[in-house]
Amino acid sequence: MLEIKDLKTNFNTYDGVVKALNGVNLTIKDGEIFGLVGETGSGKSVTCYSALKLLPKTGEVVGGNILLNGEDITHASEDRLRQIRGGEIGIIFQDPLSALNPVMTVNEQIGEILVLHQDSKIKELASEKEIPVYKSEKWKASPGVEFTIMAFCISFISLFIMLGQFTFSLPFLFVVGMMFLRDYLQKDIPDSALDLMVIDALSRVKLPNPKQIAQSYPHELSGGMQQRVMIAMALAGKAKMLIADEPTTALDVTIQAQILQLIKDIQKEENMSVLLITHDLGVVAETCEKVAVMYKGKIVEENTVERIFRHPKHKYTRALLNAIPKGGKERLKVPDVGEMGSI
Amino acid sequence: MSNKILSIEGLRKHFPVKNVWGTDIALVKALDGVDLEIEEGKTFGIVGESGCGKTTLMRTLLRLVEPTSGSVVLSDEITQNQFLSNNLEELTNEELRSFRRQIGVVFQDPMGALNPRMLIKDIVSEPLVIHGKTENMRDRVIELLNNVGLGEEHLYRYPHEFSGGQRQRIVIARALALEPKILVLDEPTSALDVSVQAQILNLLNDLQEKYNLTYIFISHDLSVIEYMCDRLAVMYLGRVVEEADTEELFTNPQHPYTKALLSATPNFNKDKEKIMILGDVPSPITYLDESKAKLATEITEQERLEIKSIEGKGLDYIVRSSLNEVLPLKEVGPSHYARVK
Ligand SMILES: Nc1ncnc2c1ncn2[C@@H]1O[C@H](COP(=O)(O)OP(=O)(O)OP(=O)(O)O)[C@@H](O)[C@H]1O
Ligand SMILES: Nc1ncnc2c1ncn2[C@@H]1O[C@H](COP(=O)(O)OP(=O)(O)OP(=O)(O)O)[C@@H](O)[C@H]1O
Ligand SMILES: [Mg+2]
Ligand SMILES: [Mg+2]
Repeated sequence: MLEIKDLKTNFNTYDGVVKALNGVNLTIKDGEIFGLVGETGSGKSVTCYSALKLLPKTGEVVGGNILLNGEDITHASEDRLRQIRGGEIGIIFQDPLSALNPVMTVNEQIGEILVLHQDSKIKELASEKEIPVYKSEKWKASPGVEFTIMAFCISFISLFIMLGQFTFSLPFLFVVGMMFLRDYLQKDIPDSALDLMVIDALSRVKLPNPKQIAQSYPHELSGGMQQRVMIAMALAGKAKMLIADEPTTALDVTIQAQILQLIKDIQKEENMSVLLITHDLGVVAETCEKVAVMYKGKIVEENTVERIFRHPKHKYTRALLNAIPKGGKERLKVPDVGEMGSI
Repeated sequence: MSNKILSIEGLRKHFPVKNVWGTDIALVKALDGVDLEIEEGKTFGIVGESGCGKTTLMRTLLRLVEPTSGSVVLSDEITQNQFLSNNLEELTNEELRSFRRQIGVVFQDPMGALNPRMLIKDIVSEPLVIHGKTENMRDRVIELLNNVGLGEEHLYRYPHEFSGGQRQRIVIARALALEPKILVLDEPTSALDVSVQAQILNLLNDLQEKYNLTYIFISHDLSVIEYMCDRLAVMYLGRVVEEADTEELFTNPQHPYTKALLSATPNFNKDKEKIMILGDVPSPITYLDESKAKLATEITEQERLEIKSIEGKGLDYIVRSSLNEVLPLKEVGPSHYARVK
């Protein structure tokens, strides 16, 4: 599915060049949940940003290849990359609030992705069910145009009132009134094909009451619901692969358990590949089939979850495992950083 | 059986919620009747989900916020029989200063707790200066730094020159400056990597042994809590729903929320039974208007939908609405209390 070969990424900073990745090799097969673990700064996020070309301007991929289903996307055009992100590969970021647009409803945000990646399907659905394609709100223009009309009408109203010609202002009053009443008048209009697809996307992530949630703004939802909306967005473009960068770090454990269960369920139902980035080895043990351990911009060990946790080969993996409290009161073994220097 | 150093009795803290006219319409019941006894020289853990009132409990303990009702009773160990009253609320200003010397605090975010423009020397000596203990200050600061594994060479550096784990050590050194008897730790390792966390936990255990410190340890990481604590309380919506010695609580949880919490913690046992919590996290707001005041205990429409979505997966579950019923604390085992039927 996704193959990363000898990936090297540098950052140009004021203090010189930071070598964030020193040759990362990863292969994620179809339909597998792959965990990527490592401590802060080991390069987990940079790996996934490099693979999707989402690096900031100071970052640069200086070597290696990225293959998606055999296609080399290392030097793909920006258009192709936009197709891939959100289309073939869905992405979930750590902090749902910063990734969701606070001034757009869930409906609008998911709708945007659907129009970008699933346009033909929306049109198909519309003609099949004989419903409007995009907007059920027929009389809605873009916010800028709406604002201009409103300002225009109100200035005319005040102008006519000032001139003492109240009757002339009536048509403008009518327009303003209609704009306010519009939402109310439109209640009975059937959902558009796009609306139906959005609701479908939300029910896929097991959000109860998707119709109501579609109308909400992100801040009106709980952390767990926001993360579900993020997952719905990542999957809306019919992604065959999901990259999740610390999807549950900001959540309570009970909610984390629900989200991980959801990712597992969807993965199974749709036979997706998942790359799960986390620093929590427990999460990996519970969710993943295979895991790679990252240290200082390199993969130091890769194996099935069973084997890596039973028989860790690399001393860094061993040190990581030893550092976790696991019941019992004996002193925790602290990894000696000096010893780990050479890899 | 060792001595109590603090007891918390019926502590409540209600924050008022105002409408636009400035009249109170509702209360956030951050603490709603908490009773706890903290033993000297032991580690007392507090767990619970975000917003259940852990930090508020700590702030009321330090008298950074005034409780709505209830009290914190100090032992003679702390008052040295010098105070007029053992009740935290009735302390005079002078007594409050003396009390604050005996209770140190470590917060979650080490960078937020350290002033980036101050030298380490000044950061660690700040409490000494405030409480006027300036004799031999330099030696004392070096001793404090040595205690946490840092040294003289770090005196003239700024916080940004240190790693996250080292910064947390500096915070601990400062918290210990006035030789407190109690250390309150609010998520001291949540921002740290496991290997650094291991260092800090070991350090805390060493310091406890050396100075017979009492810890109040707040965390949401149950594996850390299990490792550190002798006794612990599980909080839900401003109340303690279960309290027991650590081993007893981990092997024999009684309250449904505790069970779900234990099962939700990721660990290396793949076949362990999972209990999901379904439904929306309840709002901590209680309306003063009677008709809206009570949280519904019957199963909601949303929960019914969620139950349907996990049906046939062989998962156990509890629903949030069932947790809304307030039951009295009952003894369910040896010094093990839970709010169960
Ligand atoms: N914009 C940047 N400019 C310079 N260096 C960067 C930049 N982004 C990341 N780095 C460096 O790249 C390395 C890897 O960072 P990365 O964000 O991938 O870590 P991570 O493994 O995701 O850690 P975390 O668990 O904290 O998210 C770090 O040493 C970091 O300092
Ligand atoms: N000063 C305040 N004014 C109003 N409400 C407050 C105030 N401080 C806390 N609260 C509310 O009291 C409740 C308990 O908050 P608290 O910070 O004690 O939770 P916590 O258990 O520490 O959560 P976390 O794990 O997220 O730190 C929350 O609902 C919070 O919104
Ligand atoms: Mg990262
Ligand atoms: Mg808190």
